[in-house]
Amino acid sequence: MPATIHPRERPGIINPIFTCQPAGAQFASIGIKDCIGIVHGGQGCVMFVRLIFSQHFKESFELASSSLHEDGAVFGALDRVEEAVDVLLMRYPKVRVVPIISTCSTEVIGDDIDGVVRKLNEELLPRKYPGREVHLVAVHAPSFVGSMVSGYNVAVRDLVQHFAGRTEPNGRLNLLTGWVNPGDVTELKHLLAEMEVDATVLFETEEFDSPLMPDKSGVSHGETTVEDLRSLGDAVGTVALNRYETTLAAEYLEQEFGIPTVSGVTPIGIRNTDTFLQRVKNLTGKEIPRSLVIERGRALDAITDVAHMFLADKRVALYGNPDLVIGLAEFCLDMEMKPVLLLLGDDNPNYDDDPRIRAMLEHVDEMEIVTNADLWELERRITQENLELDLIMGHSKGRFVAIDSQIPMLRVGFPVYDRAGYFRHPVMGYAGATWLAESIANTLFADMEYKGMKEWVLNVW
Amino acid sequence: MPYHEFECSKCIPERLRHAVRKTEGEDLTSALPLGYLNTVPGSISERGCAYCGAKHVIGTPMKDVIHLSHGPVGCTYDTWQTKRYISDDGNFQLKYTFASDVKEAHIIFGAEGLLKQNILDAFAAFPHIKRLTVYQTCGTALIGDDIEAVAQEVMDELPDVDIFVCNSPGFAGPSQSGGHHKINIAWINQKVGTVEPEITSDHVINYVGEYNIQGDQEVMLDFFDRMGIQVLSTFTGNGRYDDLRAMHRAHLNVLECARSAEYICNELRVRYGIPRLDIDGFGFEPLGSSLRKIGMFFGIEDSAEKIIEEETARWKPELEWYRERLRGTRVCLWPGGSKLWHWANVIQEEIGVDVVSVYTKFGHQGDMEKGIARCGNGALAIDDPNELEGLEALEMLRPHLILTGKRPGEVAKKVRVPYLNVHGYHNGPYKGFEGWVRLARDIYNAVHSPIHSLSALDISKDEIPTDRGFVTRRMLSDRDLDPQIANRADLRPYSGRFDIIPEIRARRAERVANGEFVSAP
Repeated sequence: MPATIHPRERPGIINPIFTCQPAGAQFASIGIKDCIGIVHGGQGCVMFVRLIFSQHFKESFELASSSLHEDGAVFGALDRVEEAVDVLLMRYPKVRVVPIISTCSTEVIGDDIDGVVRKLNEELLPRKYPGREVHLVAVHAPSFVGSMVSGYNVAVRDLVQHFAGRTEPNGRLNLLTGWVNPGDVTELKHLLAEMEVDATVLFETEEFDSPLMPDKSGVSHGETTVEDLRSLGDAVGTVALNRYETTLAAEYLEQEFGIPTVSGVTPIGIRNTDTFLQRVKNLTGKEIPRSLVIERGRALDAITDVAHMFLADKRVALYGNPDLVIGLAEFCLDMEMKPVLLLLGDDNPNYDDDPRIRAMLEHVDEMEIVTNADLWELERRITQENLELDLIMGHSKGRFVAIDSQIPMLRVGFPVYDRAGYFRHPVMGYAGATWLAESIANTLFADMEYKGMKEWVLNVW
Repeated sequence: MPYHEFECSKCIPERLRHAVRKTEGEDLTSALPLGYLNTVPGSISERGCAYCGAKHVIGTPMKDVIHLSHGPVGCTYDTWQTKRYISDDGNFQLKYTFASDVKEAHIIFGAEGLLKQNILDAFAAFPHIKRLTVYQTCGTALIGDDIEAVAQEVMDELPDVDIFVCNSPGFAGPSQSGGHHKINIAWINQKVGTVEPEITSDHVINYVGEYNIQGDQEVMLDFFDRMGIQVLSTFTGNGRYDDLRAMHRAHLNVLECARSAEYICNELRVRYGIPRLDIDGFGFEPLGSSLRKIGMFFGIEDSAEKIIEEETARWKPELEWYRERLRGTRVCLWPGGSKLWHWANVIQEEIGVDVVSVYTKFGHQGDMEKGIARCGNGALAIDDPNELEGLEALEMLRPHLILTGKRPGEVAKKVRVPYLNVHGYHNGPYKGFEGWVRLARDIYNAVHSPIHSLSALDISKDEIPTDRGFVTRRMLSDRDLDPQIANRADLRPYSGRFDIIPEIRARRAERVANGEFVSAP
């Protein structure tokens, strides 16, 4: 059976895999230090996105709403944006960056958020906040276009476009991570540090995992500064991970400042991490040190322990953000698994141009890729079409598919709210490859024991 | 009773009249916080939208229904799997959510055709489900799709299905409360009176404003079974669509959450002459009084007294065990709406804690009036609090615990205040006599957590105690307790199971098997 790719055929969505653009823009917003985004729309567009961030990270993040009510929907609500900016600046004296994020309602009524940013820059800011550095950045994120993935892509581009400048070369590498967990950022920074590469990271999210401190000072917020963002134009190169999440910003940096750019790498698995390091080496001229040979060897050792004995030929379904799913599928193939069903993100019509997907279509025997997918595509194949699976990998919104069909599931991606602490673990880099291989194995082991399926094999392993 | 001015909100004077501090000899007429007014933009309020108030809070707990949101995917995704309203037949309402997936072309050319195809596909995917609700969202409200016409068209084509339409876009009102109102009125206008129920008892009620959070409704149905009361419908937790179309045949509307569901009770009174009785399933005394009142209405007080006697004998010693150990515990009661007055007094009387603050995200002035009246002096009442006000209040009041929602609970954690989820509950159900003991247990476990007791220690500055490898909750809670109380043999901590709902369901199934009366089959 050859590999195929096609979009979801029903017009509607039963159990969505992804949410809408404003959520992606908000995820970018919380990555920046001294930044609070204002979402111009109904309050639910913020309240629920904050809730899902807090479900995933078990932390709270600051995001504001223009609180669109009925009168604003009828007569226009730009006055609400003006008031929101003023209230926010008065009460949060450290705030320097305020993305103004539109939603479906305010795009439909045609509120001109670019215009209101100009007006505020000309009137409110110089009059009431002279001498205070405040950046208002309009981000158009209508919910009826794309998904949270494209919303993140657009927001990163708009923020980069606003800030990036050129002074003098700083020898640093721009690392645009895409929508990843703090654990991934830690691992990526570690790999670069081993290569003695200084990087500007969009976004520094390790502090999302903030401590509970005796002096009550812990706050979950990103750490990428305005200065970091400004310096992007001075870099020696840009590595943009996750093709669908960072390409717009990377293209802008390349075109505007002529920065050598590598785009679309997703360092999930050994092979993709190797590629990532080679790209970094090409851009920076830095050598890959022996310490990483050792780390890589340790990961290979761990994977060898489980791969051909336990993982080989295991049938997997994957869903989530497209780059994550593609990266996981590639790694699964390296581990001799069979990723038989891939459910990819949104209505982006260009997935079949992705060289990674083209390669899988060419070389993989059994694989169905559904684009613009929902979770019903997974569930009905299991319940109605007898799709046999040994494992599901995806985020928590699909948990009932796994629970009801008694298929073991490894939680990956965003959001993961029904397992503790997963945001702390990387899926990228050599550490991520180790974590994935061992977590897949442990998930299968628990299932073997629960179902009494060759559980005695593990007696002597 | 002066208004309380927050330092952080001095620059937004319209906030001044949204908080009051209750003082000696208070008179509610002198100062009552404003409520249910438009939110101050940019204040980082905790409020949600009218769409979620309608769809997420009230619509979706209905269990035998396809719940479809007409709009872009976000509204559906974001509100899905963020609540704990279970049902007794497989949790379809938690597991499945439907979005018409409106895209840019639909915004320009209209999405009615898309919606129709969606409805047909949804029924085709779940052929055993014949009922469907459609919720308008901001986008489809603004483009003016005629959802009713689409619904009617489908009903004409598929005679065995029924569709309810709720037009409550996110911007319709200051908070989720606007959506509560809209769906109440839409339901009675469209659906009540369209099904004739089978009456199985002389005592027939609608159970209204009850959402079966972690099984609350099923706890109460167990009592109604024992009282011989037929529950025609539950609005809406664990409720059936067609039962709710027959609400007009009840003798009495028994109302729990007046904030979200008094509107339909008031309409049922006006249109069908059904009286409204406000009750309270939380706390021994309020629950006992509630069962008594219902019993009195039907002239069956004895059945209520029997339940109260049995349940009190079984659970009071466990409640008392906690009350003795929670005296003086300072709590902020910061729920969404009605719990601020449902709990304000009884949590102090029966669980022993001191309520130092109440707040409401979407309550109205009437909720505050009742809430403040039930607090002690010194309590701070806040309407539509925002992030900074909440933190300032925590710093000022230094509570031992806050009772609030998931995300605000994470804020409190960082200032070393543990929280309990009073929307979805930690380890509920909290209704019923046993449920109330479970709340007391959860409060005790949070407040006397040995891990929490470590959080104030600064190992870089403080002398680190080295004499202990562990501390138990009892070592903390009983430290200053009179030994005579600590050792009382007639009291005991909670003795129930982690999940009590299977026991209740088994008990009710046994009644059915034995041919005994059940309140709602």
